[in-house]
Amino acid sequence: SSARSSHIKIRPPLHQYIRHLLYVELGNKGSTNKILKQLRKLNWKDPEVASYAIRCLTSAWKVKFPNIRTLAGVVAELTLYQEFVGHRIVDAVLEDIRWSLEFPISKFNQRRVSMAKYLAELYNYRMVESSVVFKVLYTCITFAVSYDRNVESELDQPDNLMRLRLVLTILDTCGVFFSSGLAKKRLDCYLVYLQYYHLFKRSLPVWTEDNPFPVAIDFGIKDMLLSLRPKLKPYKTLQEAADAVENLEKELMNKLSQAMPELRMDMVTA
Amino acid sequence: KDRTKSKEKPPSKVIIRRLPPTMTEEVFLEQISPLPDNDFFYFVKGEQQFGVPTFSRAYINFLNLEEIFTFQDKFDGYVFLDQKGTEYPAVVEFAPYQRIPLRHEPGAKEDK
Repeated sequence: SSARSSHIKIRPPLHQYIRHLLYVELGNKGSTNKILKQLRKLNWKDPEVASYAIRCLTSAWKVKFPNIRTLAGVVAELTLYQEFVGHRIVDAVLEDIRWSLEFPISKFNQRRVSMAKYLAELYNYRMVESSVVFKVLYTCITFAVSYDRNVESELDQPDNLMRLRLVLTILDTCGVFFSSGLAKKRLDCYLVYLQYYHLFKRSLPVWTEDNPFPVAIDFGIKDMLLSLRPKLKPYKTLQEAADAVENLEKELMNKLSQAMPELRMDMVTA
Repeated sequence: KDRTKSKEKPPSKVIIRRLPPTMTEEVFLEQISPLPDNDFFYFVKGEQQFGVPTFSRAYINFLNLEEIFTFQDKFDGYVFLDQKGTEYPAVVEFAPYQRIPLRHEPGAKEDK
């Protein structure tokens, strides 16, 4: 039994209390204000207390999925009193998402999805700008991704669809707010690249009649497009998406060369 | 509604990632000494969990933007060692989230 007991973590009472507030009480009816009050009472000047509390407030995969929104709300409110807390949580969430792309181990799948959801909820509570969300969205479809069907990426293997799940989680949570101004334009561009990524993955030889591409992902993309851009005609083929990407990039290059005439086009495209 | 701020400042907040999980702030500061001129710095110790570590990391908001490139030249890919001699090549890049608190001291705004 000594071997067993060595696995039981003994936590200081304050740590236990913070965990209780966030992982047990959060989501109970009427608990949010109480939790916030208790969190405000912590001694945030004590680096040990602060770093433990921030770590707990970052670990969105430890709360029930529907409570992730509540957690983001608590963080947004707490940040009004302890500004550095919100910033550190955002830094930590972004690092966790990046780390999880560097270690695409399936046992972290729930953690990945929870953190993607958390980032999107933090955006909804105005803790991050849309540009930060788009950085993550682009990272999902570019970081260590191979768009060459003869080269297999170790970090984004052909049959691994986690990146698409993360993107759908984010867009289903906050995409509705990318509806005007710069954020709208950013989403319009992104959806071109996303459709290319989706159709490229779908076209890989790993998918066969016996092992078909999951319809849940196809429907997820279709529903997301229909809800965020009802007038958009989704690309039907990989070639169609590839042409759209090429046209978009030509357009961007033209704009770039107009803004910076000293930039020679042959240099840019080389 | 688009909430992107129109004031676009050049990035100045840098993250040093993938440091040894067991590294302490003291050891980090010693190894990169001198710490570049900055108005914001913090260090987060990693965690050894589920057999896959999360790494230590540090954030620096540079006051002199030119210094970022010499710092990156020196420390991007620089191999840090833990006590057991395991190698951890660091990654130095702009932090994806560039905001820093207006008041940098934790608890600077009194919560009464």
